[in-house]
Amino acid sequence: MNKQSKVINHIKSYAVTYLFIALSVFFIIVSRLDLNYVASQLLLRLNRNAFIVLALIIPIVAGMGINFAITIGAMAAQIGLLLTISWGVTGVQGILLAGAITLPLAALFGFLIGKLLNRMKGQETIGSLILGYFANGAYQLLFLFIFGTFIPLSDKVTIVGASGVQNTLNLTGSVGLYKALDGILLVPFSIVAYVIAGLIAVYGIIQYTRKSFTAQKLAFCLVGAALIAGILQIPAVANLFSGAGGRQMIRVPVVTWLLIGCLCLFNMLIMRTRLGQKFRAVGQSQTVANAAGINVDRTRVIAIMISTVLAGWGQIVFMQSDGIGTFQTYAAHEQVGLYAGAAILVGGASIDRATNLQALVGTFLFHSLFITAQSAASNLFGDSAVGEYFRAFLSYGVIAIALVIYAWRGAKKHKSGGVDLTKVEKN
Amino acid sequence: MTQARKKKLTARIITAIVLYVLAAILILVSVFGFFLRGSDSIQNNLNTMRTHAVLHAASGGLVDSIASQARSDKLKELRARKDFRTLGLDEVNSTCDAAAAAARAEAEALYSNATVQNAAGLENAINAMEKAMSVYGGLREKERAVYSDLYVSLVENVPDWTDLLSAAQEDDAKLFSSLATWAEDLSVPANAHLQDGFVKLAHSMAEKEQAADDAELLQQLTASMVGAVSDWTELSELDDEALWEALNREVEGFSAAEAFKTDLLKKAKEYISAAEKGETIAVETKDEGAATVYDTVTDYSFFTASDALNAASEGVESAYQQLWGELNEIIPDLANLDKKMQKTIRTTLENTVWSGGIDYSSRYNAYAAQEGSEALSGSAAFLMQLSALARNILIAGIALCLLASLFMFWDTLTKRFGIPRTIITLFFIYLCLAAVLYDISVPMMLSNVMIRMGMYGILVLAMMPGIQCGIGLNMGMTIGCIAGLLGIVLSLQFNMTGWYGLLFSCVSGAILALPLGWAYSKLLNRMKGSEMTISTYVGFSFVALMCIGWMMLPFNNPKIIWLLSGHGLRVTHSLLGSYAHLLDEFLAFEVLGVTVPTGLLLFLLVCCLLMWLFSRSRTGIAMSAVGSNPRFAEASGISVNKMRTIGTVLSTMIAAVGIVIYSQAFGYAQLYTAPRQLGFIAASAILIGGATVRKAKVSHVIFGVFLFEGVLVLGQQIANAAVAGGGLSEVMRIMISNGIILYALTQTGGASRE
Repeated sequence: MNKQSKVINHIKSYAVTYLFIALSVFFIIVSRLDLNYVASQLLLRLNRNAFIVLALIIPIVAGMGINFAITIGAMAAQIGLLLTISWGVTGVQGILLAGAITLPLAALFGFLIGKLLNRMKGQETIGSLILGYFANGAYQLLFLFIFGTFIPLSDKVTIVGASGVQNTLNLTGSVGLYKALDGILLVPFSIVAYVIAGLIAVYGIIQYTRKSFTAQKLAFCLVGAALIAGILQIPAVANLFSGAGGRQMIRVPVVTWLLIGCLCLFNMLIMRTRLGQKFRAVGQSQTVANAAGINVDRTRVIAIMISTVLAGWGQIVFMQSDGIGTFQTYAAHEQVGLYAGAAILVGGASIDRATNLQALVGTFLFHSLFITAQSAASNLFGDSAVGEYFRAFLSYGVIAIALVIYAWRGAKKHKSGGVDLTKVEKN
Repeated sequence: MTQARKKKLTARIITAIVLYVLAAILILVSVFGFFLRGSDSIQNNLNTMRTHAVLHAASGGLVDSIASQARSDKLKELRARKDFRTLGLDEVNSTCDAAAAAARAEAEALYSNATVQNAAGLENAINAMEKAMSVYGGLREKERAVYSDLYVSLVENVPDWTDLLSAAQEDDAKLFSSLATWAEDLSVPANAHLQDGFVKLAHSMAEKEQAADDAELLQQLTASMVGAVSDWTELSELDDEALWEALNREVEGFSAAEAFKTDLLKKAKEYISAAEKGETIAVETKDEGAATVYDTVTDYSFFTASDALNAASEGVESAYQQLWGELNEIIPDLANLDKKMQKTIRTTLENTVWSGGIDYSSRYNAYAAQEGSEALSGSAAFLMQLSALARNILIAGIALCLLASLFMFWDTLTKRFGIPRTIITLFFIYLCLAAVLYDISVPMMLSNVMIRMGMYGILVLAMMPGIQCGIGLNMGMTIGCIAGLLGIVLSLQFNMTGWYGLLFSCVSGAILALPLGWAYSKLLNRMKGSEMTISTYVGFSFVALMCIGWMMLPFNNPKIIWLLSGHGLRVTHSLLGSYAHLLDEFLAFEVLGVTVPTGLLLFLLVCCLLMWLFSRSRTGIAMSAVGSNPRFAEASGISVNKMRTIGTVLSTMIAAVGIVIYSQAFGYAQLYTAPRQLGFIAASAILIGGATVRKAKVSHVIFGVFLFEGVLVLGQQIANAAVAGGGLSEVMRIMISNGIILYALTQTGGASRE
């Protein structure tokens, strides 16, 4: 009985995720796309977007909802990239320079965002969204009128005979930033999968010998590792990745994956520090945290600063990997918040809870729908434009549903006597 | 505490006084500059500048020509050398440039100090030229204005150029008179000379119409091709004919596509090669976006001159010949220049002598552009420049003055109006003054502001019941907008026009909004405390859902659907044939050049009055009580949920009517993603008017929509006049609109929660 209700609870709280798993499978089938293509696109997009999605976790834990103001971090990164291109620094050095410029800028912006969000507690989600729109105005002002006139830039990025930065910048060729991280080390997918399987097994054994794992957990690890290795032995699966039969060989950009792994580790480790404890305490109840002597406002500002800087770096990872290596100077940041927010919610995170796994699963599911939606819709309705609109609907709809579910739960809790902060604030 | 505050206050007052003093100095200087303009010595100086500028322009052309000759000579010389191939490109360039620079310096020394023997003759020639040019220029401007008016009314009113052409059957006179039915002034005898031009215009418009239709058809064909073909790689081995046949088999309606065969085959091949490389195939959907159809831009290439203008032009010609003669006497080498160079010199001279106006600063700037100020000594040149800049100095002075007032009365102003409203109001006052100084036509501006007030007014009014009933800023009013758009599309589907169509759109939109608003209010009633977040995203999702809806709904009037696929509504629907501008033009009249859109403003006022009456009624008072203090309202026996439902439904229904009024004033109804941001625009307008997220009055609506639209219209014009290139006004809109909403959010008092 107890176990059954546990399962029901699990399904209830991950309803959105299961719905999306079903939807993804359905779409992949209906779209009639080559699985090899879907897999390669998925890996590419996971590699490209995961970093930004992971940047959303800390503010959620700190009770600030989905930080749509990560677009501002992306803007900081784009300023960094612009200067890098203008100064002509190429390759990994270029990426590092852009990251270095992003750090202080994004930290400053994050500080300001945090200060502002502290003045609209309970409305952070909408506040950060509108703040992102507002900052977009400032960004346009900067790129249209201030760069090139007050801040000198090389004519590689400005328009000759007019003020402002060019509409699109090229990251390929002599600029040398395209795939600067992805291209360092590319390894076939199967090898990476074996390594991951091995790591899981070794991790289980180490934890077991240190007695922090039960035998059951060890077995779980070992079986998982064996499963990964085993599945790859099936010829159909192996062919999917190896590029047999004229298909693409799927390779993994190891450096980017390592960066994403480091971020996951960072997210995990920071929760064990004093700061992480503070985030959690503030997220659970500001009143209690305040009573416990935690400086609530300061903690929230730090959470947003970290998130903004991470989002900035995430945007650099995204830009160096994106598409065909063009940088849409005035629009590249616009959908960052929307897609990242939708992705983490699809993974089963809510407005007040999020983990690394949810972020990664969410990115995976959201983008699998993204890849297949167009073909699926054109097969279902005979019109590919519907697929385009369906994508937009998915992004907005997921966020709306998550917000509604969260608010609904909050209202119920309030009725049953629990503490609901949004209500306390109202009166 | 009080000590610190006092200190702050004194600091502020001292800053204000310093700013006032600075502003006063600037304003005095500018008045001095304006005063100088009238004095004789300045006028003489100006004439000296003019003579110098004319000589410079003439000799400048000569010098340019000599320098470029020297450059090409040098290049020839280098080419002849044996080791030419071993020279780098940079080296060749730098050698040639050096030669050109040397020749230029020599020529300048030779010609710039040309002695003027017959000074009076030159002066007379320039005066005559100036006079002839100003007569010609004034007349030309007038005729072009007439042409432009006619052009705009034709382009905006003629529904179908192809029909018009086929009705006239190659008879130009007949075509011209039928054009006159769309622009009455065309039949005036004084405009008879325009016939040829407008006949050409009609032909070109018809061609454009045809081309646009073709492009649309081609796009649809491509889309249906992509939709129908599942695996492009299967088609890869086929040659053109076989491929065409295969496509005809797979795609419905391709038989109509014979005319586009080459284009479609090209596209198909692109897709095939893309499919082979494993790339995704996406149809580039032409994004019509927000069509900015406020102003039709006049194309002057169909302009024909009247006889009077031609005579004036001949006057200019003879005056120029005289001037050219005088110049030739001073610099004999001018006569040896080739035709092209002579023409360039002529353009420069014409622009220098008459730059479009006889006011001080335009004359000064035109002369200064040709180094005219070199003719003057230090202090005279400085004074000249000062009076030329007088206007800019005055604007800066006024800006400083306003800034100083802001510092001086900061406490009083912010306490009464709030920080952003204070800033926006002062900004508006500044824009008004700047508009006067920038010679921006005030009547036109006022007409524009009034139209836009009427256009957005009802949408802003829709915010009011939402705020009053306690759901705050109803960002989900886009739901109502979509109901209204459905009403419009329904009226188009059944070919309804005129008042009947407008009324039908409003009523059916409002009726559709009723159940939607009701369901939406039920949702919001369960989400107390986070309505704004929820309503924003529910609004966004609904817009996105309806994007699919617009594609799928079973409309079938060929005027509103994509022709080829046979289903799905188009993005932009012109209301010109049905009821565009119907309300604007109802009882419209013109006073002092200001067109008053009486019907539009009356409608807004009536709606505001009704809203006001409602808010004085029992229900209205109960609703406001719920909005401002739900606890208290509940305690006094008011059903909070019921009031919230009434308010939300009302807001949604008003939004539906609002979008109909908006579209008729705009002239176009835009579907798909177009309504997404309307909630933000309406919210920022009512907040600028002084509403908060708890309280709103009718006066906030009217004042807010006036201020918001006023700042936007004025700001756009001034930004265009002051800074080249657009974009600045859009940036301003984004920052004002979102800034005020952010401010309102900070005022909801989150900080008190600790």
